[in-house]
Amino acid sequence: MSLWRQFTRGLRSLTHSSQADRDVADEVNQYFEEVKAELMSKGLSEQDAKRAARLESGSMAQVRDQVRSDGWENALTSFAADLRFAMRQLIKHKSFAATAILTLALGIGANTAIFTVVQSILLAPLSYKDADRIIALNTRWTDTGHQSTRVTGPDAEDVRARARSLEAVSLYSGGQMGVQLRDHAVFTVVTGVDPDFAHVFGLQPIAGRLFNEADAHRAVLVSEQFARDNFGGSQAGLGQTIHIENEAVQIAGILPEGFDFPAKTQVWEALPERPESRSRTAFNYRAVGRLRSDVSLAVARAELNGISRRLEAAYPADNRKKQLTLVLLQQAMTGNARPTLLLLSGAVALILLIACVNVTHLQLVRSMERQRELAIRAALGSSRWQLMRPVVAESLLISIAGGLFGIVMAVPAVHALVAIAPKELPRAAEIHLNLWVLAFTLALSLLATVVSSLLPAYRATQVDPSEALKQDSSRGMTQHKATVLRNGLVVAEVAATFVLAASAGLLLRTMATLIARDMGYQTAQMLVVDADAPAHTMEDAQRVVRQYDILFAQLAALPGVEHVAGIMGLPTGEHGSNGYYKVKDSPRAAAGHESQADFSVASPGYFQKMSIPIKRGRDFASQDSYDNQFVAVISASLARQSFGDSDPIGRQIQCGLDSDNWMTVIGVVGDVRQESPAAKPGPTLYMPMAQHPFFATEIHIALRTQVKPLVLMNAVQQKVLETNPQIALHFTTMDAMLGSSIATERFRAALVSSFAGIGLLLAMLGVYGTISYTVAQQRFEIGVRMAFGAEKDRILRMILRHAVRLACFGVALGLASSLFLARLIAGMLVGVRPLDPLSLSTAALLLLLTAIVAALAPARRATRVEPMLALRAE
Amino acid sequence: MDDPNTDVIQGTLDMLILKTLSLEPMHGFGIARRVEQISRGVFKVNPGSLLTALQRLERAGWLDAEWSNTANSRRAKFYSLTRAGKKQLEIETRDWTRRASAIARLLKAEA
Repeated sequence: MSLWRQFTRGLRSLTHSSQADRDVADEVNQYFEEVKAELMSKGLSEQDAKRAARLESGSMAQVRDQVRSDGWENALTSFAADLRFAMRQLIKHKSFAATAILTLALGIGANTAIFTVVQSILLAPLSYKDADRIIALNTRWTDTGHQSTRVTGPDAEDVRARARSLEAVSLYSGGQMGVQLRDHAVFTVVTGVDPDFAHVFGLQPIAGRLFNEADAHRAVLVSEQFARDNFGGSQAGLGQTIHIENEAVQIAGILPEGFDFPAKTQVWEALPERPESRSRTAFNYRAVGRLRSDVSLAVARAELNGISRRLEAAYPADNRKKQLTLVLLQQAMTGNARPTLLLLSGAVALILLIACVNVTHLQLVRSMERQRELAIRAALGSSRWQLMRPVVAESLLISIAGGLFGIVMAVPAVHALVAIAPKELPRAAEIHLNLWVLAFTLALSLLATVVSSLLPAYRATQVDPSEALKQDSSRGMTQHKATVLRNGLVVAEVAATFVLAASAGLLLRTMATLIARDMGYQTAQMLVVDADAPAHTMEDAQRVVRQYDILFAQLAALPGVEHVAGIMGLPTGEHGSNGYYKVKDSPRAAAGHESQADFSVASPGYFQKMSIPIKRGRDFASQDSYDNQFVAVISASLARQSFGDSDPIGRQIQCGLDSDNWMTVIGVVGDVRQESPAAKPGPTLYMPMAQHPFFATEIHIALRTQVKPLVLMNAVQQKVLETNPQIALHFTTMDAMLGSSIATERFRAALVSSFAGIGLLLAMLGVYGTISYTVAQQRFEIGVRMAFGAEKDRILRMILRHAVRLACFGVALGLASSLFLARLIAGMLVGVRPLDPLSLSTAALLLLLTAIVAALAPARRATRVEPMLALRAE
Repeated sequence: MDDPNTDVIQGTLDMLILKTLSLEPMHGFGIARRVEQISRGVFKVNPGSLLTALQRLERAGWLDAEWSNTANSRRAKFYSLTRAGKKQLEIETRDWTRRASAIARLLKAEA
């Protein structure tokens, strides 16, 4: 009540200040009238009464001022006056103001941009209904700690049936696929989902209806965008028939724009409630669920642990050490981006720190220039707070201006960030500036005010008037403490920059390693066609394989094409598979060891086309048909892993890709890095397309070209559609695929390097500022030295030595912090150790050079000091 | 010139105002005179401090203020005690009594 009254009355007197003034004036007036009247009633004349009243009570103006200066709103008014004064000061010291504001704008802008991304991806809730209750189901192995984001059909089904804390559980699976429409085919993301899917996400179609159990494999939901792109509108799309994998399905409903879970899905195909894959070791699904509103995540987890234990007891072989766990969907979606975003946040925080240090430093220099002013204020009896106020007011103005400029700079920065972000970055489309970000920036500005004015303001209160007024700053008799403080700031700044530069060095070395890596195959001049031919039955699939064979020959005949081959499981591509394999008569297998490999299905000529060396035996050939003996080619590491030094040719091998047929090993080829340049070359099992037709319908056609690969796009497309118009196509190049496989690494390296660049620039400014100031302060001293015959070189060396000493301290401090921080970045490095001597020493050298360059100009200025002038200066 | 000190004891002005107003609503000058009269001239109230204190007490919610006419029909701002003000007066009175009697005891012991 009373606080409220304080506030409203204060506010009223602020907003109606003339009214408040009048009120007080009236009251004071009346008081004096009463005094006068009383005196007159005692017999004084009006004149005498007036004088007596004045003697007794002081002047009316004095009383009015006293009454009006009470209350919080008046503190505010006087602070506003301080701000006006600070504004005038800043306008007068333009270069100081501009440097400080730009420096802070850089720091705040970088932070705002990164925070925009962090907020939109990690912090903002997902845009689904009650998104905080949607969870993703994971599988975890308690013995190895290994965790998979996939689940098996029967396990998820059991969770759905038994978990009371989950309202609904939905299984889904899918990926990029060809969808055949009436007159053309498109490549898009198709996800098979069961009827619970809509319940989990609280979906409402904008047209048509949702699925039910009877719709399995008969109906699809499509996105509004898909309907618009392919049929011209939602209503036009409703009821249309499209083909997926040669199954005719009808569009039953249209989902609203903005819903594209999972992974930019455009088409959701109805799957039955009961998962079709019945194996407890085939992780063919992902699953999401909805928590009951009255159940916490911890309770649900505990329940799932119980269910997992019962399943382990019921299926001791398949479910050994297998545990079903759940995480919030938001975490599941954004978890991979987290380390990168945290790294970037750390980097920009350092930038802001460096910027604040620079501004503190500028402020300190300024506050020394106005020591006299402060001393006079102190001598006239200003309180501590009154002494600090002008400094704080200036900082506040600088920070607010810096914040505003920072926001202006952040807008294009965010656009640039999203443009260069790797495609896997989740929720990239949702990234935008919003009120949270603005609040963050405001808070940051205030923080910057506090941080950058703390020391200068404190120092302002430490001014001893008698000393300060006596001291003449141009004589070079500065306080020792002040110098130590400024040097300390520069050391801190150099240290922070060192950490940035060293991290940038490590990430750049990682990039260099990845780019220079031998992938085990040729990547240049390679056109890659993602091709998906519909096939539902064995006959379909075999026909497709025959069509592909003819197509490869036709494509090879195109001018500019050197070689053509088809492959399921192209390195860095999407369609790879992997799993366990067995070798007949192997002691390892007998001992119960199972070995893992990547599985690829390739056409004859693939190895030659990719320049993967055939080390022993032969390539696939036309005789390796479906009716003949099944064969396989293995990679060198698989040979080493399973056959040691013995000859693998002619041995029998088996894998669970599609059949249990034993395959005869006919060749050994060189290893490749399958996932990305960051991957180790590993064991791969190659099988011929003709013998695995089901895995040969959705393939990459790789063409080695003599001309620029994409030039051939139209010719290739024409040939493919002539052969089979139902094949959905998507073009890219091997170099592009390789590039996107290391997009995250590139993103990190590019950003951290630019931040390190900004840091270096700021550090240079900081060193330049402090050395310039020192030189200016020491003019007198330098003049004396030169008058006594010191050589210019000596002076130059003295100044540079000072700069180098500061830089060395900074580098040492930075090195120590890097040792401490190294483990945070270790997971992002490939081919370099976190304490890579090359990166660290380069960073150290860079900072020393920066310091020397920054100190050079002021040092030369010092050598040009004319002794006579310097000594006569006063 | 050896005038006796007529300053109000520090920190007691609020209490004196509240006590004065507990009898009847009054304007600023009235309060000043009443304090002087009752204290038999021991305390003289400075109008600057008095009016500032009145504004502060009103903000704190202990006083209400209203413009109306005085006996000799001058417009004046009349202050009256609120319920919170009455409570505050009790608190301050109790506190003062406690401290004053302590000082009195100390002084007696000295003598």
